[in-house]
Amino acid sequence: MTKVTNDVVRVVIVGGGTAGWMAGAALTRLLSGQCTVRLIESEAIGVVGVGEATLPHIRSFNERLGIPEAEFMARTRATFKLGIEFRDWGRIGDSYIHPFGTFGRGAGAIDFHHYWSRLAREGQDLPPLDQLSYACTLAREARFEHPDQGRGGLTSTFGYAYQFDALLFAPYLRSLAEEAGAVRTEGMVVDVERDGESGLIRSVTLADGERVEGDLFIDCSGFRSLLLGQTLDEPFEDWSKWLPTDRAVAMPCRTETAVTPYTSAIAMPAGWRWRIPLQHRTGNGYVYASDFISNGDAARALEEAVEGEKLAEPRLLRFKAGRRRRSWVGNCVAIGLASGFLEPLESTSIYLVQQAITALIELFPGRQMDASDRDEFNRVIDLEYDRIRDFLILHYHATSRDDSPFWNYVRTMAIPDSLDEKLELWRRRGRVVKYREGVFLDASWIAVYLGQGILPEGWDPRADVAGTGDLVQAVRSLRSEIAAEVARRPDHRAFLERYCPMVAA
Amino acid sequence: MSAPIRHVLVAGSGLTAWSAAAALKRRAPFLDVTLLATPAAHDALADRIACTLPSLPGFHADLGISEDDGVTRTGAGYRLGTRFFGWAEGLPDYVHAYGSYGHAIGPAAFHLHWVRAMRDGRAAPFDAYCPAAQLARAGGFMPPSPGTPFAGHDYGLTLDLPRQVAMMRAFALHVGVREVTDSITQVQVDATGHVTAIAVQHGAPLTAHLYIDATGPAALLRGSIDDAWQDWRDWLPCDRVLLGTQVSGEGAPVLTPATAHAAGWRWSSGEQVGMAYGSAHLSDADAAAMLARDGAVSDAPIVIRPGTRARAWRGNCIAIGDAATQVEPLEWCNLHLALSAIDRLVTMLPDTAMAEVEAADFNRQTLAEAERVRDFLAAHYRTARRPEPMWQAVAQAELPASLAHTLGQFGERGRLPFYEEETFTRDSWAAILLGQGYLPRRIDLLVHGVPAPQVDAAMARMTDAIAAALPHVPAHAQWRAAQMRRLAR
Repeated sequence: MTKVTNDVVRVVIVGGGTAGWMAGAALTRLLSGQCTVRLIESEAIGVVGVGEATLPHIRSFNERLGIPEAEFMARTRATFKLGIEFRDWGRIGDSYIHPFGTFGRGAGAIDFHHYWSRLAREGQDLPPLDQLSYACTLAREARFEHPDQGRGGLTSTFGYAYQFDALLFAPYLRSLAEEAGAVRTEGMVVDVERDGESGLIRSVTLADGERVEGDLFIDCSGFRSLLLGQTLDEPFEDWSKWLPTDRAVAMPCRTETAVTPYTSAIAMPAGWRWRIPLQHRTGNGYVYASDFISNGDAARALEEAVEGEKLAEPRLLRFKAGRRRRSWVGNCVAIGLASGFLEPLESTSIYLVQQAITALIELFPGRQMDASDRDEFNRVIDLEYDRIRDFLILHYHATSRDDSPFWNYVRTMAIPDSLDEKLELWRRRGRVVKYREGVFLDASWIAVYLGQGILPEGWDPRADVAGTGDLVQAVRSLRSEIAAEVARRPDHRAFLERYCPMVAA
Repeated sequence: MSAPIRHVLVAGSGLTAWSAAAALKRRAPFLDVTLLATPAAHDALADRIACTLPSLPGFHADLGISEDDGVTRTGAGYRLGTRFFGWAEGLPDYVHAYGSYGHAIGPAAFHLHWVRAMRDGRAAPFDAYCPAAQLARAGGFMPPSPGTPFAGHDYGLTLDLPRQVAMMRAFALHVGVREVTDSITQVQVDATGHVTAIAVQHGAPLTAHLYIDATGPAALLRGSIDDAWQDWRDWLPCDRVLLGTQVSGEGAPVLTPATAHAAGWRWSSGEQVGMAYGSAHLSDADAAAMLARDGAVSDAPIVIRPGTRARAWRGNCIAIGDAATQVEPLEWCNLHLALSAIDRLVTMLPDTAMAEVEAADFNRQTLAEAERVRDFLAAHYRTARRPEPMWQAVAQAELPASLAHTLGQFGERGRLPFYEEETFTRDSWAAILLGQGYLPRRIDLLVHGVPAPQVDAAMARMTDAIAAALPHVPAHAQWRAAQMRRLAR
């Protein structure tokens, strides 16, 4: 049972980029001796990575791989990320932050937003919600210091992620993977050979004629979905009726304003625009629906909107929201864009890659593929996609914007029943459907609901017990306490320069 | 926004009803809570089983009932778990304790390492790596104590039921619950399925905005609306419970023994003894005779109908305890499910609109919780190794999808998939499955990430640390006596 040398699984990863090298690094580091990793990538094929904003989960991935934070940040020219700012979503002129943290003190029997809803409905003069969250205030003030888990208090009420240059992340992971034994092959896959009986993939053939055999094939070929989509023909479940954006135009520029410790998502007439500040530049892109704007107009709109001198020409990307019905078919596991795509509104791309890798490691097969591993993997991935889907749709649907055909469409479109029910519970009682599994938990939903102007009509009746005066006083002292704590934290840029200054190119 | 609710009526007179009334009034003091004390339901297991899970001490704490009042003064004993005898023939007894079993070594969970060590013949029984289980086997008790191996456990209680009910009733009355003693003659339900009034034998009809049905299996209120029921008999074969009392000089054991027999199982928790059995496989008379051999005086058998209402909450009426879900006392979930529903209700109080979407959210969580308790209990029968017909029938039954999924994944490679609203931890599942010899077919590859000698050494350190600490822990009786003395001072 413990003899494994004869059972070493030959893994072939098709495609480098973020997904491919994350998978390569994780497999070689965590399953060393159990599998060999061969990664095939071609310099002739571009990488989609356009400067990535991540979720806090990336930290556990890095920790598990033993990646030191400061080194990783320096190598990828990364900045810290405390949340996402949404501008002009609920209404033009609005701005809110979805923080990786809580509102209020993050303690107590009744969630803060119940009190907030009550006071707002009573017409009390309240400070902006952002000022009642340590994470949001820290972000708005462009300051940063790591959470202080030891002390409990306000400074422990948040998590954080990174904004980094994806074009540098993949090479960094590549060096880790190769150090741990991964073998990289330069080449283009031109043919795929399958077993006539089982349909399993036996080998891929490269342009130079080399045939690469394997037991497990990981498809990280991006949108082309070379193995899962093209070879195995796994059907694509199309979600574009709910998530109609299908293009992005990306363009980096010089940073002219603050290096904000947050990503911005600014609503545009036919979609939205991202702003991701890195140490050396700012990434920008306009995600739009081609039914509502032409490519040329979108590129022009982006060029007009960015804050500084452009550092490259606008680059066009095409996609479709949805996922392959199954991500693992036979002996082929698709990770990243090859398995599905959800627009980057909530920075879920790398998260989905990470979850797929984690699930694959937990369910890593022997040389003989086992249906129970495969089914469980697909169940886990489906759950992730479905939960994120509803959360993304909420951003578009919960709006009062009626200034363009695009916003009229998303505001009035039919939404999934699962989201309809969530919205009704929130509207009626300020209640969030509780899950412990899935990426966006209560605090995230609350931030977006309130940020997009859906103030609940009712709240937890226990929030009525305290007197109005006492509550207003408590809110004010909370705000001053947060302001005072935040004022003691260093400036984000200064912190980066001290902690993880970028490595020269 | 609709008008808030003010009047809540709780029907029932057992521990479930008093716990619900006390919690509602204490945690939502703006409610008028009336308890309609109907005659006691002898078949309400949530009110009658002395053993509890760790959720009861937590429930006390939320109400502000101190350990002194909630445990010491009510004469309760501490429980660290259950010891199973005879569930898997050919294997030694095993302990399901409310604590962690080992700790992860490298990238793999402890139980995965244990499976390999077991296969290689180098592992002690699984519960040898659980400090709480070893503490309990030694008859000792201490609350979680940081800095010792005994830091990561919870404890339940063995109740002196009459004193517990008296305490909870006194607490409820103290915080302002109104008590009306009467019998229900009729429950009036309108065309939409809402309760409009409860007619009683002696007084005027009672009305409220919200009705809580804690009347036991009879479900006098909720049952007046509909009687839709999910049946679990195929997986939980015991449909009778016999309770008895015995003279016990030693007090309640910290580790409750649960011993399988041909047609069910029996337990002993100090004064209370009991037996669960399938009526198709054992007659009531034979069951009573078996229990009497221990010198126990037994009551009339309780008939249970294993299953649940998918909609515990309908309209303005919520069933809790045995009115909502009936399971045998295995793993002591009866009161736990009731307390969990009470907690849920406190955070999900409706307004007078009684919106369907709110009830649906409550029911979704409540049903998910009940079904996973069913799965956990059923796993005991499914993975048991006994030849008798009752056991074999469960071994061959078609399983609910969620349990088939869990057992399939565990049986394959030791994976325990996550389920929402799960009562028992992964360690609990592993304790039962591995204790009954239900071993994964494959060794998870992550296990090989750490060299075997290193794993062996880590495992040996765990048992050594427990062995070194055990001589210094107080016996359960000693611990209880010390608490009593402290109060007497």
